[in-house]
Amino acid sequence: MAISDNEPVRGLLSSRVAAARDAMRRDHLLWIVLALGPVFALFCIIRVYPILETIRLSFYRYHPTQRSRPFIGFDNYWRLLEDEAFQTALINTLQFCAMAVAVTLTLAFAVAVLLRSIERVAPIYELLLYVPVVTPWVPASVIWKWIFDPVHGILNYGLSFFGASKIAWLQDEHVIIYAIVLVSVWKMLGYFVVVYGVGLRNIPDDLMEAAELDGATPWQRLIHVVLPMMKPIILFTVIIATIIFFNVFAPVYVLTASAQGAPAYDFKVVIGEIYQNAFVFYRMGYAGAQSVVLLLFVLTLVAVQFYLFRDRRGV
Amino acid sequence: MWKKMMGVAAALLLSTHLAVGDEATKGKLSIWLGYPETLDAFKLGQAEFKKKYPNVEVEILTFELREFEAKLAVSVPAGSGPDILTLHDFIFPRYYEGGNLADMPADLAAAVNDPKIIDPVFKDILTRDGKPWGMPWWSGRNGLFYNIDDLKAAGLDGPPKTYEEVWQYAEKLTQKNASGELTRAGISLRLTGPSGGTQKFGYFYYQLAGEQMFEPGKKPGTVRVTIAQHIDAAARVLQDHVEHLHGPKKSDDWALKHDAQGFASGAASMFMRESWVIPFVKKNGPAINFGVVPVPRGTAWGAYNNLEILSVNKDSKLQAAAWDFIRILQDQAILNNVLEGSGWVPIRKDRDYGAVLAKEPRFAQMTTPPPGLTLYIEAANVAYEEMTTRVGEVIQAAFRDASLAGNPAGCKAVMMKAHETAVKILKDNGIYSD
Repeated sequence: MAISDNEPVRGLLSSRVAAARDAMRRDHLLWIVLALGPVFALFCIIRVYPILETIRLSFYRYHPTQRSRPFIGFDNYWRLLEDEAFQTALINTLQFCAMAVAVTLTLAFAVAVLLRSIERVAPIYELLLYVPVVTPWVPASVIWKWIFDPVHGILNYGLSFFGASKIAWLQDEHVIIYAIVLVSVWKMLGYFVVVYGVGLRNIPDDLMEAAELDGATPWQRLIHVVLPMMKPIILFTVIIATIIFFNVFAPVYVLTASAQGAPAYDFKVVIGEIYQNAFVFYRMGYAGAQSVVLLLFVLTLVAVQFYLFRDRRGV
Repeated sequence: MWKKMMGVAAALLLSTHLAVGDEATKGKLSIWLGYPETLDAFKLGQAEFKKKYPNVEVEILTFELREFEAKLAVSVPAGSGPDILTLHDFIFPRYYEGGNLADMPADLAAAVNDPKIIDPVFKDILTRDGKPWGMPWWSGRNGLFYNIDDLKAAGLDGPPKTYEEVWQYAEKLTQKNASGELTRAGISLRLTGPSGGTQKFGYFYYQLAGEQMFEPGKKPGTVRVTIAQHIDAAARVLQDHVEHLHGPKKSDDWALKHDAQGFASGAASMFMRESWVIPFVKKNGPAINFGVVPVPRGTAWGAYNNLEILSVNKDSKLQAAAWDFIRILQDQAILNNVLEGSGWVPIRKDRDYGAVLAKEPRFAQMTTPPPGLTLYIEAANVAYEEMTTRVGEVIQAAFRDASLAGNPAGCKAVMMKAHETAVKILKDNGIYSD
């Protein structure tokens, strides 16, 4: 009895739900706004607003502990032109980034190609290579600092068996960049091996078989089939690696932090300079200007990479 | 009717007064420390404080020094942050200039102004508009630490007494292996970490120049750069460093363990640092037989001091309680704990540290400066970190340049660059004094 009493109500409810669904389908825009709106709002708050605020700050002399925060136009940007430390940091970062991107991606590609020939056990190697990726930068860098210790470090100890003399990995101004590249390659290699592995698996087998039937050597297959097919993946990895390595900070900070008894060469990188100006010297406006320049630099590099890797078939 | 109204008004006033009074003795008193080694002393103070303020919860948080400074810099100007501000001398001006410090009670101000209690060198740095803005608590006073056994083995019968002897002794104490690599530094110099490096370079500079590289300017908070004025002394100190890092006199190397760790592990025979090294080496290098003396004299004789200042946040709701906590921290037992536990030297001259000195006589070099030794303190200013970092970068880059050995003109050029670097930063911050 009760059931039959509720039937009209249910019917009304379901017709309303259906009407709402129809309305939603009709008004697709509303649906998009409701679905993506909160995420987009969060993105704006967490990502877009800080960027805009950083750009705004770059036109001010802003020191958090000082009351006066005057607008100074482009003064912070002009100052960058005379700032030796920032210029050194920029050159160091470019050199480091170029080396780290080239070594990491070349090595990752080579490993990924080799792993395809041992497909059955490849996941085990991928997993092992991925362990450093999930290890946080700071503890990883601390461990590397011990490894690099010129007197007690395991690296120099190992090299001594080959007759190598003691190398001041972190103290020698000419060597430290290679030490930081080594740590960075070790840390990020696994990620790019996995990405390349996915790309390689997606190359159609019939394409490779056809090339083989046509008498192409493995090297020719790599150059004329694999690389062209991997171009979008390579573009993606070059851009991601450039962004990651251009923003290098934690390993440099930890490896070069001259704490008690562990001196190291003061290797400057752009993010380190920004950190120092913002949180040691409290020159927030100036650090903002440096951040804007970094942003423009990375955007330019990415644009250049897009241009170089563009598909020229239509040209 | 009037009587009733007056009664109600009186009751209201009384209740308001009680509420205010209650607010001042209830709540949470927050203390942040950038020097965690003094935590035990604060805990001793906390126990005493609870007797007087049972309803005030005391929260003491410790941070790594840089993190502590950053947290203060963003929180205090925004009206939050801890109630008690433990300010190092070089960050003190930020909070004074920002108007973040509460007025000091008369009794504590009188103690600061009494030269029998506080040495005027410490009073001046925190005095603005004719009144002090905090209680100087402890100081880090420098000295030359030396390994007694290494000196004996090298045929030296005591620590160096002059600037020249420091370098001569360093050469004699240095040890090398068969391939000529240093295995022990005669003296561990500060070769990295530019801000601290400027400070340690200054230890030598003062002995030859008779003043610091950066002296307080004419107006409080301003700075006068003295390097150009003492360019011969500055260049000589740089040249001595370079010549003891390269070539036949080489007495230190970047690849060796440095600073207190280097000394405690036997990798260095001498080095200059502050008093905290005494408990550090006792703990981390118990086998090291060491002594400490004031930094050897040149044409002048001075001891560097840094300073920890206790102030109260102007936005604290527990200002009276916070000042009471600071009063408690002046107790003999707590000051003894500071000295013995952390090695930092309490400032108060009207206290007797005999009990600690009986246990560790080496502290006497720090607590009782010998006659003729001038105590000096850095010129606190809002651009301190930036200036010392950038000047240190110039100096430490020069350390790596072997061509500066035997090259006074080159050393002068480097030190003039250091001078100009400092002047530019000070002018940019509006605190340059000529």
